[in-house]
Amino acid sequence: MKLTKEEIQFIDNYLIKNEVKYWDVRLELLDHIVSAVEDKITNDGISFNEALLEVHKGFGNQFIEFGVPKSKIFESGLYQSNIGFKKFTRNKQKELGRKYRTMTWNHLKAKFSTFKFWLEYLAVILAFVSIYQFKPKACFLIGLIVLILPTIYSAYYSIKDKSTRKSLSFAMATSSAMAVWSLYNLSFYILKDRYENVANMPHGFFVIVACLFYPVIRANIEVYQNVYKENKKTFNFKFL
Amino acid sequence: MSNSKLYKGSLTTIILKLLNENDKMYGYEITQKVKELTKGELKITEGALYPALHKLEAEGLLDVEVAKVDNRLRKYYKLTETGTKETVNKLEELAEYIKTMQALVNPKLA
Repeated sequence: MKLTKEEIQFIDNYLIKNEVKYWDVRLELLDHIVSAVEDKITNDGISFNEALLEVHKGFGNQFIEFGVPKSKIFESGLYQSNIGFKKFTRNKQKELGRKYRTMTWNHLKAKFSTFKFWLEYLAVILAFVSIYQFKPKACFLIGLIVLILPTIYSAYYSIKDKSTRKSLSFAMATSSAMAVWSLYNLSFYILKDRYENVANMPHGFFVIVACLFYPVIRANIEVYQNVYKENKKTFNFKFL
Repeated sequence: MSNSKLYKGSLTTIILKLLNENDKMYGYEITQKVKELTKGELKITEGALYPALHKLEAEGLLDVEVAKVDNRLRKYYKLTETGTKETVNKLEELAEYIKTMQALVNPKLA
């Protein structure tokens, strides 16, 4: 028996209430749950509520019936624990993180294998060195902008295309792109103990950090672009 | 999954083999196909299936395709070119494993 639009909507809302906030995770869970519930109603002859509760438990969400009044078993059963869904999301998150790290590494290797990129990198370093000679503070600020470029880039996409919001793929691509910023912060903390005043910190050090991370930043931006293209192709955003 | 420990190590091979024979499949369909082929002996749980699918996808062995089916979106998994090659290797590995186990458990048949 096929579920009605309202019943499918109920399952979608139930997933939202169970904190499955990313749409790209939810769509896969929704299809699986709807298919399983339809199957159980047709083949096992049970009700929608009973079928949904069984599928809910099948995902590893625990349910302790003890002390729950019979009339509230369905409601309590569905929202007592979401541990299975959390595990599902965490696992996907882990695999996506692994995938993007491999992609970044491959992009980085590909970049360094081209003469064009070596020229570009050399030009960037020369530009930094030249600016630093005359205006060290300005050079430091440019370095900061370069370091936050992937963040600016992902923010631009989230404004441009709403499907990039609340998507686990994009959340992971953004966090992978922001890894450089974390490394930069780490270098900031290393110097923090030596220099009490931030203004006294050597600007040159941060410029070197920006130069060193430039290839990674370029690779991160390319990975983000690839993730966007890949998702656009797969999910055909007009569906959403 | 029933007899979980024995089957667990072969889950990815089972998924790859099914996708090799069926062009593209969605998650629930895979669980039902395995249940049908093994006459209910092997039941793949959601908690085992999806991590395996996501891992294979991250490794570039599977590709995904999304289609609108009955008021919802369905995610289909299919083998990539690398996935097809890997299926052959995995099946060979499994055949070798079965042969070795046969020699250990029942030397007369090996």
